Amino acid sequence: MPDPSPPEPVLDIERHLKYWKMCLQTPLPHHYLSNEGNRMALAYFIINSIAILTPPPRRRAGYEQWEPETGAHDAEGPGLANLPATLFALQLLALLADEGDEAGAFRGVDRVQTLRWLRRLQREDGSFGEVLRRMPGEAEGQGWFIGGGYDMRYCYIAASIRWMLRGAVREGETGWVEDFDAEGLARYIQRSQTYDGGFAGSSQEEPHAGYAYCAIAALSLLDRPVSNNTAAQHSATLHANIRDMPGLIHWLTSRQFVYLEPPNADDEDSDDEDEVNFLLPQRLADLSLASNTRHVACNGRCNKVADTCYTWWVGGALANLGQTGLLDWAPARRFLLEKMAHRIGGFSKHPGGPPDVYHACFGLTALAVVGEPGLSELDSALAVPVQTVRVIEQARAALLERAREDGARLVEGAMEMGLAMRGSKPAWLTAVGG
Amino acid sequence: MPPKGRKPKASDATPQTTNTTTSHTNLATTTTTAPPTSSTATATASTDGGPTPQPPQTIRARSEARRALSRPYETLLHQQRGSRLAALAPHEQSAWLAARVASRLARRPALSSSSSSLSGPTGSGVGGGGGQAVVARLACGGGNKTVKEVWKVVNEASVPLRSAAKSIGKEGGGGGDLRVEEFEKRWERQVWLSCLAVESRWFQVRRERERRGEREDKSGDETVVVVTEQEVFEETRRRKEMAALTRELYGGGGGRDGKLGLDPEWDDVQPVVLEEPEGALAAIAYPADYGEAMAYLRAVMQAKEYSPRCLRLTEYIIGMNPAHYTVWLYRAANVFALKLPIPDEMAWLNRVALENLKNYQIWHHRHLLVENYFPAIAADPAAIEAFATQERLFLQKILAEDTKNYHVWSYRSYLVGKLNLFGSAEELRAIEAMIDDDVRNNSAWSHRFFLVFSNPAHATPGVAATEADPKVPAAVVDREVEYAQQKIRLAPQNQSGWNYLRGVLVKGGRKLGTVEEFASGFVKGLGEGEDGEDVLSTHALDLLAEIYAEKGDKERADLSLRRLGQKWDRIRVGYWEWRRKCLEAPA
Repeated sequence: MPDPSPPEPVLDIERHLKYWKMCLQTPLPHHYLSNEGNRMALAYFIINSIAILTPPPRRRAGYEQWEPETGAHDAEGPGLANLPATLFALQLLALLADEGDEAGAFRGVDRVQTLRWLRRLQREDGSFGEVLRRMPGEAEGQGWFIGGGYDMRYCYIAASIRWMLRGAVREGETGWVEDFDAEGLARYIQRSQTYDGGFAGSSQEEPHAGYAYCAIAALSLLDRPVSNNTAAQHSATLHANIRDMPGLIHWLTSRQFVYLEPPNADDEDSDDEDEVNFLLPQRLADLSLASNTRHVACNGRCNKVADTCYTWWVGGALANLGQTGLLDWAPARRFLLEKMAHRIGGFSKHPGGPPDVYHACFGLTALAVVGEPGLSELDSALAVPVQTVRVIEQARAALLERAREDGARLVEGAMEMGLAMRGSKPAWLTAVGG
Repeated sequence: MPPKGRKPKASDATPQTTNTTTSHTNLATTTTTAPPTSSTATATASTDGGPTPQPPQTIRARSEARRALSRPYETLLHQQRGSRLAALAPHEQSAWLAARVASRLARRPALSSSSSSLSGPTGSGVGGGGGQAVVARLACGGGNKTVKEVWKVVNEASVPLRSAAKSIGKEGGGGGDLRVEEFEKRWERQVWLSCLAVESRWFQVRRERERRGEREDKSGDETVVVVTEQEVFEETRRRKEMAALTRELYGGGGGRDGKLGLDPEWDDVQPVVLEEPEGALAAIAYPADYGEAMAYLRAVMQAKEYSPRCLRLTEYIIGMNPAHYTVWLYRAANVFALKLPIPDEMAWLNRVALENLKNYQIWHHRHLLVENYFPAIAADPAAIEAFATQERLFLQKILAEDTKNYHVWSYRSYLVGKLNLFGSAEELRAIEAMIDDDVRNNSAWSHRFFLVFSNPAHATPGVAATEADPKVPAAVVDREVEYAQQKIRLAPQNQSGWNYLRGVLVKGGRKLGTVEEFASGFVKGLGEGEDGEDVLSTHALDLLAEIYAEKGDKERADLSLRRLGQKWDRIRVGYWEWRRKCLEAPA
């Protein structure tokens, strides 16, 4: 007879840290080769996870020395700056900021160029691509091609970068950069809601939890105040642009399902990741039995399999709507800690699988967004610890301050040049103390 | 000799030609090569034979002629007697059989040395050694005498013992249709390339020896190895020639064997190696070949080079890492710059896609290709139709491997919009087949909704998926409601069907209450106690709660939601409680 109520599992923070230290200190195995184009993302998963696992005042000795390359936010060598890599690079800079030098986190970032480039990645329909490339055979200045599919992730990333760098500068002030079409982006997102309430890359595709998260977070970031706010603040843009809010909440909460052990669970070699793991009991009424509701998993689409990251995408999306209460959290947490956590630390994609940095990171963000004890408080829209968001705010303010100084120096320089050409200072200038 | 322009016949096996044309095939050392003693064969030769013998024109013809020469009776049998053994004269039959047995004996020379004491036919000049007896016993269960008989027949008939292989100039650029002179020229150039490679290798060895400070004996004087400027100059010239030859003969070898640094074709490119600091974040232990190829890629990308070798380089890298967006974009740029036929690129892509099911970049590339290709066929409905069919067949194939692949379905919906396939009966049928196959395939359901309700023939542009569209004909709405209900009956707890049903009703501007009766069929005795109540589908009860609220029956709506949270769908109790609150004050 099994214990009717086994104790709740505990998150083994030390074990997870050990996993992340391993990822940090040794090269990732060749299985990650397909992510070679997204190395910034891999670095973000590693550093963000360590930051989540080590909330202040816990010392973070030993992690600061790994500084990502600054400036060039392309994931590899030449040419193509890439939207996701740019976001991850900025987040890394903030995550790795030295204590006491938070304001200097974005030192070296070309804020103006980045924001201008961001603007050029927007398509006419309001959506974003990930890279700009000139196709051969076109005249100079022509034929710029916005690469990347119609993908809600790019929309989210564009909104994040805008929030992280733009700041509250009014037109005409120093440091002002022409904005992208924020309303156009909001309209694009609005149009991407699907008939069943979810969100897809566009309304003509199947809704997907990752895209739903991106759509919601992007909208909330578009009118997020520049500082001292949390992700769950009421966003007018968010509420104005989700046509069917009850439908969206219905769709998001429907991503949860009772996880029942597959009959061949002992077969550890079975690594067929698409093997159906959304089994139903013989009778629906059996779903109310306590033994059957111990584990709740999330899928990313209707009738798809459980995966660690969807607990985060669904949980994070509901958190951005201020609705984490709609998750059945205790069994969802048990699912992560009892079925997905690996004995060497980290989380896997599917029950019984090996951990990888993507799922290991999003397992932690899922726990942190619901306030798991011992973890840093997480900002559900930016997916980094709240303390890192404060660093971003200071770093952005410092960039703007420097822009003002540079602006002033520029004016000064122009005057010096004019004076040199004229030969001497005009009397009125000397008279007014110039 | 009869004139031979086409397929050679058995009658080619005349003694005059065998001696010359078979000289470098693997014929056994037959001392005499008499024709088959078949009178028919000779007769045929003389009837359709002309006075002037002409050598075969192409490699294929030559190979076939040699093959025919080496197996005269088979050719006779298959080409002239309708494959009936009985159609051969008795002596032809025995010669044919003997040749077959003997050729087996001749092919097993290993036995001859180990058992030389065994007696066998000697002095025949055929085959080799004393082991044949053993083989013969094994082969035909006969004794020495039988073997002797076999050899006797073979010798008398003078049939070749080893038959020429069927391979036809596989390595030749134009396959078997290459003309003999061309083939021979090509062969000479291949030999020349090999010579150059040997010389080049020799140069490398010398340079290596020079680096190590080795000494060499130069006409008596021992001196330090020094590579002269002249040698370097020659090597440079040599490598250029090698690159040109490789390109000519094999279409370029670069990027195929993973040794770009050693490949003369890439000599003019200075690879751009990315120097990484010690302990760089998220470094990946990738193979050296990959690192090298990426270094070359950076170099050609920086130089904005678009060429066949760059295209090959992208293929090589994609083979190692198909998820690298930069490589794909650069490949697209090459395809467009070189104006390559898009269908060829699509055919190549099909193969890569089937090997890399989970890849995202492949589908983006395909999208770009279609964008580029479409204008060329836009004005030709037949071409669009053909393209649509070809794509549908491919999509079917790939979805059979992975029925819910998000990238494939995204591409599919893009294609429907691009080629305007909304009204296509085949497309709808293909989707129905997928739903029939797995009624829980939500990707297929989503595609159906798009196909039906975004059809410009009856959809108002700009109306959102979650909004009513008055333009959609009632008949379409009726049809879709019926379709959804039919599929729900097959699997009542499948949410895909219920979501679809609700979506159709909203789209058609109908009240949810129009399906109350249908939904009620899955809920029995609501609120009538543990034993009286049975729910076959929580989604039905969910919809009923909405229907009751729509009708203003708050009490029953509340009961439905309460029962869902209490019993039928406990894991969503938080959600059902939220819905109950919304009944009081809508969200």
